[in-house]
Amino acid sequence: MTRPYNRKKIFMATARALTAQPAPPAAAKRRDLSGLFGYVLIAPPVAIMLLLIFYPAIEAVIETIFVSDAQTGQTTLSLQNYIAFFQDPILRANLTFTVLVTLATVFMLFVVGYPLAMYLRFSKSRLAGTVQVLTLFPLFVPGVILAFALIRFLGTHGMFDTLLGIVGISGYRTPYLQPQGIVIALVWEHIPFTVLVLTAGLRQVEDAVIESARDVGASGWQIFTRILLPLTTRSALIVFCLNVIGVFGAFTLPYLLGPAQPMMMGVSMQQAFNNYQDRIGALTQAVLTFLICAAVGVLYVRTITRPRER
Amino acid sequence: MATLTSATPTREMALNPTLLWKRMRRELLSVVLVVVLFIVIIGPMLTVIFWAFAEQWRYPSLVPTKWGLSYWQETLTRADVTAALPLSIGLATIVTFLSAVICLPASYAFARMNFPGRQGFLLSFLATNAFPRFGLYVSIAVVFFRLNLIGTLPGVILIQIVNTLLLMIWIPTAAFQNIDRSLEEAALDVGASRVRVFLQITLPLVLPALSAAILLTFVSTFYEAQGALIIGVPNIQTMPVLMYSIINSQVIVQYGAVISLVLWLPSLLLLTFAQRFVRGNTISAGFGV
Repeated sequence: MTRPYNRKKIFMATARALTAQPAPPAAAKRRDLSGLFGYVLIAPPVAIMLLLIFYPAIEAVIETIFVSDAQTGQTTLSLQNYIAFFQDPILRANLTFTVLVTLATVFMLFVVGYPLAMYLRFSKSRLAGTVQVLTLFPLFVPGVILAFALIRFLGTHGMFDTLLGIVGISGYRTPYLQPQGIVIALVWEHIPFTVLVLTAGLRQVEDAVIESARDVGASGWQIFTRILLPLTTRSALIVFCLNVIGVFGAFTLPYLLGPAQPMMMGVSMQQAFNNYQDRIGALTQAVLTFLICAAVGVLYVRTITRPRER
Repeated sequence: MATLTSATPTREMALNPTLLWKRMRRELLSVVLVVVLFIVIIGPMLTVIFWAFAEQWRYPSLVPTKWGLSYWQETLTRADVTAALPLSIGLATIVTFLSAVICLPASYAFARMNFPGRQGFLLSFLATNAFPRFGLYVSIAVVFFRLNLIGTLPGVILIQIVNTLLLMIWIPTAAFQNIDRSLEEAALDVGASRVRVFLQITLPLVLPALSAAILLTFVSTFYEAQGALIIGVPNIQTMPVLMYSIINSQVIVQYGAVISLVLWLPSLLLLTFAQRFVRGNTISAGFGV
């Protein structure tokens, strides 16, 4: 309870002792009120979180597992909506497609992001600052603008095609409206976050640790696998979880850059809700994405709540 | 200074050929990295800028074959653009204001008050990251459908506020926590009232972080497209939602390019302020790093 120094309290106590005044009774009460007041202050955002995030999610589950019979009007617990989903070949293809795009994107993000983070952590080049600005640049390009830019850049006869032509490569086939288009765009969008978090993780590994390993004769590869990878597990887990969830729940880029068929789940849900007015169908798909991301979500929550080792 | 630092390595390199090779290899990596990143990161945006100022751009040319501004007036006087731009700015302003009113007092409580469950509530905001975004929007949309909020301004405002909570709570909370308390206590010692200490000591100290949070919230809300699309259809069309139809309908390329460039302005302004947030690891703090 006692703080190392609380000059005000000491000062007041001394003043009271000197003037022989009784301690104000409000002092003790204020502490309790401050706790109560804290709840009052956090109530509005907590209420919004409960009403607009947790309630709709729970409501979605309840609405899709209780099916009311059209004739009798009776409501029964049933997995009918989910069975219907898995019996539909188009929806099943959409789900498989989403899983594959997510795996490909997250894999590519590590392949591109980890070396970039290593470069930013260890490079002493004067160009490192420029590399950092370039890797963070996508943070400042919103999704819809990115989609438009990539269509014009990567499209047939776009700037990339032209550049390849200049160096003598012909026969370019555009990834626009292809699955690769989605992967490229999502990697582009998530690179800053990936590199930022991985670099932050690598910065926590002190130079002394690496130097001492090098002193006892560890090779670069050994330093990478035995020191850097284990010490950046926390960052890598956060990157993995949030990228999986982010890509799985993506809408704008798959919608604007991807093929008409198969669709990613985000696009599939939006079509069901806005175009076909199929609210239960859209909810069923939403709950399925929640369930698939739940395992990853639990891993994420456990990672952030676990105190960091140090 | 520049001549001094560059002179030293040159002399070293002349003396030591292996060191020269090492240095060249290291710089070569950096140069290759910068060139590749420039093409893949800046290239797409450069294409948009070129298109916005192009009268004509035929294929094998790397730059527009005819430059000009004639599409600007044509695009910016389109009825859908003149309606969407004020709506987007107004909406982002309202959402940012409401979010600040709702979240900033709470962030003060999270940072400075002691009550059971404080850490748990704070972390629960971070845990909202664990929901796949679009699935969540669809669930919210179904609830809003029942409440007749689809296609209304309040509906769009509410779904956009959801998006701002994390940022508007975590950045200010970190700022309030980082204040050196002895400054406040010193002011209390010399007899300043609590309100005065808050206004004259605490507030100025957290103001940079609060402005950062407000600025980031405004910009991210301005660009929020998915929630506005699913809730706003068909009555509310913000600039980013307009972009969906511009891209899908494949009208004249320059329309999309000019709108993209105009739409990009707030983000470009933010980019100039960005160095500060990135340095302070403000952004990564929002993910629990």
